[in-house]
This record gives sequence, structure tokens and C-alpha cells, in this order.
Amino acid sequence: MASLVIDNVKKRYGNTSVLKGIDIAIEAGEFLILVGPSGCGKSTLMNAIAGLEDVTEGRILIDDQDVTFSSPKDRDIAMVFQSYALYPNMTVAENIAFGLEMRKVPKTEREQEVQRVAELLQISHLLNRKPSQLSGGQRQRVAMGRALARRPQLYLFDEPLSNLDAKLRVEMRTEIKKLHQKLKTTIVYVTHDQIEAMTLADRIAVMKDGEVQQLGTPQEIYDNPANLFVAGFMGSPAMNFIPAKVIESGNTIMLELTTNTIETPTTINTIETPTRLPFPNAESLQSHIGKEVLLGLRPEMITEPQPHKAGLEFTVNSHVNVDVVEPMGADTMMITRIGNNEVNCRCHPSYNMVVGATCEVMFDTSKAVAFDIESGQRLD
Amino acid sequence: MTNVSLSTRPQKSMVATSLRIALYTVLLSVAALYLLPFAIMLITSLKDVEEIRTGTLLSLPSTLDFSAWGKAWSSACTGSTCDGIAPFFTNSFQIVVPAVIISTVLGALNGYVLSMWKFRGSEIFFAALLIGCFIPFQVILLPMARTLGWLGIANTTSGLVFVHVVYGIAFTTLFFRNFYQAIPSELVKAARLDGAGFFTIFRRIILPLSTPIIVVTIIWQFTQIWNDFLFGVAFSGFDTQPVTVALNNLVNTSFGGKEYNVDMAAAIMAALPTLIVYVLAGKYFVRGLTAGAVKG
Ligand SMILES: Nc1ncnc2c1ncn2[C@@H]1O[C@H](COP(=O)(O)OP(=O)(O)OP(=O)(O)O)[C@@H](O)[C@H]1O
Ligand SMILES: [Mg+2]
Repeated sequence: MASLVIDNVKKRYGNTSVLKGIDIAIEAGEFLILVGPSGCGKSTLMNAIAGLEDVTEGRILIDDQDVTFSSPKDRDIAMVFQSYALYPNMTVAENIAFGLEMRKVPKTEREQEVQRVAELLQISHLLNRKPSQLSGGQRQRVAMGRALARRPQLYLFDEPLSNLDAKLRVEMRTEIKKLHQKLKTTIVYVTHDQIEAMTLADRIAVMKDGEVQQLGTPQEIYDNPANLFVAGFMGSPAMNFIPAKVIESGNTIMLELTTNTIETPTTINTIETPTRLPFPNAESLQSHIGKEVLLGLRPEMITEPQPHKAGLEFTVNSHVNVDVVEPMGADTMMITRIGNNEVNCRCHPSYNMVVGATCEVMFDTSKAVAFDIESGQRLD
Repeated sequence: MTNVSLSTRPQKSMVATSLRIALYTVLLSVAALYLLPFAIMLITSLKDVEEIRTGTLLSLPSTLDFSAWGKAWSSACTGSTCDGIAPFFTNSFQIVVPAVIISTVLGALNGYVLSMWKFRGSEIFFAALLIGCFIPFQVILLPMARTLGWLGIANTTSGLVFVHVVYGIAFTTLFFRNFYQAIPSELVKAARLDGAGFFTIFRRIILPLSTPIIVVTIIWQFTQIWNDFLFGVAFSGFDTQPVTVALNNLVNTSFGGKEYNVDMAAAIMAALPTLIVYVLAGKYFVRGLTAGAVKG
């Protein structure tokens, strides 16, 4: 268990800047998830923390010790590599035991540890195979086992579950969560899986182009994204971005958007209905009155009209065109268009929606956010 | 559809057959072209001098006469001594074995550093080393003679080992470096995190993966050093001459008539070790040469 401080870390390869000043500090025992699009520098950052790549600038502190120039083995870190990096000439058991052997753990203890880890990861029957005789998912579990056999200060997991089937992935996710609750080892974990990120993380760092866009708890990231990128990146389906005009109506500032509806299925005349939505924290939009902004609204905030919410401060009903209906089991996604943007609405499966016709939906703006159209920064 | 394919099939297979025949003809004639000199050497070595003078190159010996082999091995004159080429065989092995081992080990270590432990300027270092592959033998004769003299190992077996190691390192490093370049660097990274050091990683992880390239390097170095004549003639002393130099002396030393059968027998024997190495390890050689080309 150790705290980790990444202080203004920069990494350049020749002229290309891969990390542009990363600042992250996490407490001992925290579970940090790194997310971001492919190529944004997640693996590079992991390598820098592990000491496998020298940083161009900045400092890395583990447990308040400056380790920027320490060698990897002195940092007491175990890592699962994105490419697994299993030793091809060793069996699964030898792969798992190698780190222990290097750290002079006695043989009987090593064997016990291999058994324990193998059971945890359901690879006991593979212990005598070579990595080349394993499937991708099995290799990934061996890579995981190699890290879990040790009790380091800090675990680094680079997409450790990406190659597992859905069921196993959920199981492993739970195992990792349990493991973390039991051992309380600090973990940095890279994933592209939204659910993994939301369920495992104490905090999430959203990265883009070598910069941290936002660092916060899963709920903060979900409810209060710092900018358009974070809002669009976290959540599946993504947050809806609806062009809306800031208007002053009476004493309150509201957002006005225009929904198109077709009068009847036989005519092609569309009726543009302006809909005015209240906005929490509306004063923050004062300076934008008369201008267009992007309204950010999660799909679950546009639903079929719900009687128990009718008449609340932030709910407004309106009509939209049904373009696509996607049943997902628990809910049905209805896709419509507002302005030029596609909008996902999460409706109850029993709600009657006919493609091509209109239907009534309820906008709930109690958690709505607004972004500047040009810069993408949060306005409210 | 069926009709068409039925009618074209015999035609197609006839074209295929004739192509096949042409291919085998070409292959067989090329093989014959390569084997012919060897066949002539073998035939000649088994004839006696009289038969060689009267018969043609390709006429077969009337009796199998191995006396030329025996003479070439133990009693033919090579310059001023008449002990055959046997003692020089020993000389050659005493040069080749240490030189191959040392240059292979150094090449493996160099390649390991240049691919897995890159340092500032390591690419330039490698490029400079590569130039070593293109330096002709003749160019280094004089400087090397001075160096050997200065080191006090002129005209000795150690001196020849030294020369061959120095000259071979460029090649062995190139082989190993290119081979290791294809091994994912994450392996070394993972091992470093596991707590292994420079030599442990080399011994436990890199070396076990290196069999194909070790075989390639050994074959290459063995052939090069065994067949070397120029360094042998320039840097050996009277009693440290390698077999190639002895062969040359044997062929050039004649009292009275030329004994072609002895010359041929000696030549075949001198070529035998490299031949044996190829036969034993040839399949690894091909595998190793193409190893870098395919992933996995
Ligand atoms: N040795 C290198 N030389 C030059 N550029 C590199 C090098 N290694 C990585 N990069 C670049 O750095 C950027 C970040 O790479 P990195 O592997 O950290 O991405 P990532 O966020 O882990 O992506 P993914 O999600 O696909 O794994 C990429 O644009 C990559 O091309
Ligand atoms: Mg990566």
C-alpha cells in the first residue's frame, strides 16, 4: 500500500510529445482508473510509473519517496502488460513463480502461491503448458496471475480483462474488486470498458492527447463532466448534445430547442415546435443570452412521460419524431433528431413508439449541463 | 458449368505436368552442375596416378584405391614436413572452436544490449559496427600484424583466434541484434519488474529463445573461419598453420609427377567439417534465417 504522486510528468519521443504534463495524486489504497481514446498515452504513463521508460520532465513519488530515477525493481510494482509479455520458454507455473523466485521466496512457498493464484484465476489445469499453447484469454489470465502472485506496493493493470469473454470478465471484475477490498493495495488500471471504470474506480482520470481532462470520482465524472470530451467519452450510450439557445423569459433564463415533428405520416410537412427547458444553475448562462450553447443531457433524462415526475421544476414534455427503436431488454432506446444531432432517449419497454410517427417524451433537466459550442468547456 | 470444367481439366493437368517436368529438369541439371566438381574430385581421389594420366576426368576408377586418402592424411609433404594434413586439422580446430565460441557469445551479448538496452547513441554504435562487415580482409592485414606483434601473440594460435573474433564480431552482432529486435521488449520490461537483472534476463529469458540464431551464427562463423586462407597464411606460425594453408602447401609441393589423387583427397578432407556442420544443423540454418520475417 502506497500513495502515488505524478507531478507534471512529460514524455517526448523525439519531437512528438506523448505526455504533456500529467498531474495525478492518489492516496494509499486508492483504485485509480485511466480511460481515454487509443493512443492518448495511457500505456506510456504506466511505463513511466513503473520506471520502464524515463520521463522527459517531472517527478514520480511512491509513498512520498521520489522514485523518478529509481530502477523498476526497486519500486516494488507488479504490472500486467497490455501485450501480456509472458515468458515464452517457461510454463504457466514458472511464469507465475518467476517474480517470486527473483525475490528469493522459498520454493514451497512459491508453489503454494502459484496454486492459490491459479485457482483464483481458474487456470489450475493449464499450469504445465507453455504460453504458445494458450488462448488469448488464458494468456491474459496468466499475465494477471504473474502480477497477483506478488504483494507489491502498487499494481499497474493495463487492460487486464480486454480479451476475456463477457461472463469471465464480469467474474474477474468482481475478483479484482474483492481483492482490492481485501489487500487494499493501490491500483492503477487502464480500461476501455465503461462498466469496469464505473464499478471499480475510486477515482477516474480521463485522458486525451497526453493530458488529463478530468480526475474525479465516477459519479463526479458522470454527473459533472469538465468538458464536452469527458461528457461524450464516459457513459454508454453517450450523453446527448443538443444545440439550444439561451433565452430570457420573464425573470428566468431558459434553454430553447426546436423539435421537428411530422404532422401525419402521409405529409412531409414538418412542424417546428420550440421547447423551452428550465436549467439548473441558470444564472451561469447569463453571459450567453441570445447565443447558442450545447445542452448536455444523458439518455436516461429523456424518457416517456412519467406521472410521478409530472409538474416538477425541471420536467417538460414535448413531442419528437421516432427515427429508430432499439430494445435493450431493461429499457428501449429511442433515437430521434433534434437540430442536426442524434438524440438517444431511454424509454420503458412497454411504451408505445412507432418508427416514423411522433411520440411524447419527458425532458428532465435537473442534471443537465451546458457547454460552449466553440471551446467545448463547461459553462455552468 | 460442369461441362466446361470437365473439358478443361485434362488440359489443365497436362500443362501442370509439363511445367512440373520442366521444373524438375532445371532443378536436376543445376544440381548436377553443382555436384559434378565434387564427383570428379571423389573419382580422382580414388584412382591411382597411372589411371589419372591415361583416363578421362569422368572415367570411373577400375579399383577402389584409398591409398591417396591415407597418404594425404598422414604422409604427404606440405612444404618442408611430410606428415600429411592431420596435424593441421588439429591446428584448425584449435583456432576454430574458441574463435566460434567467443565471437558467438560476444555477438549475443552485443545484440542483447543493442536491441533490449538501447542507450543514447546505440543506433550509431550499431551502424558503425556494421561497417565492419564490409571491410575487406586485405585492408586490415598490416594494421593487424602490428597489433598482434604489439600484443605479443604474433604467429600463435591465440593470435589467429583474436583476429577471427575481432573480424567476426560485426557479423555475429548483426545476426543477434536483428533476431532480438523481433522479440517484444515487454519481455525484458516484465522481467525487470519481476526483479531480474541484466544477466539473469539474458540467461533465463533471452538465451532460451535464441537457439535458431545461435545455430545460424555457429554455422556461419565455423564456415568462415575454417575456410579462411588469407588470415591463416598471413598470421600463422610454422606450426600453427590451419588446414587451408597446409592444403595449399601440399598442392604446391611436388617431387616429380603431380599426385592429383592425393590433392583431391586432401581437399575433400579439408572441406568435410563444414559439410558435416551443414548436414547436422542445416534445417536450423534455414529456419533461423527466416525467423525474423514471421511474427511469433
Ligand atoms: N517508442 C515510441 N516512439 C514514438 N512514439 C511512441 C512510442 N511509444 C508510443 N508512442 C506513441 O505514444 C502515443 C501513446 O501511446 P500509448 O501506447 O501510451 O497509448 P495508449 O493510450 O496506451 O493506447 P491504447 O489504448 O491503444 O493502448 C501513441 O501515439 C504512440 O504512437
Ligand atoms: Mg495502451
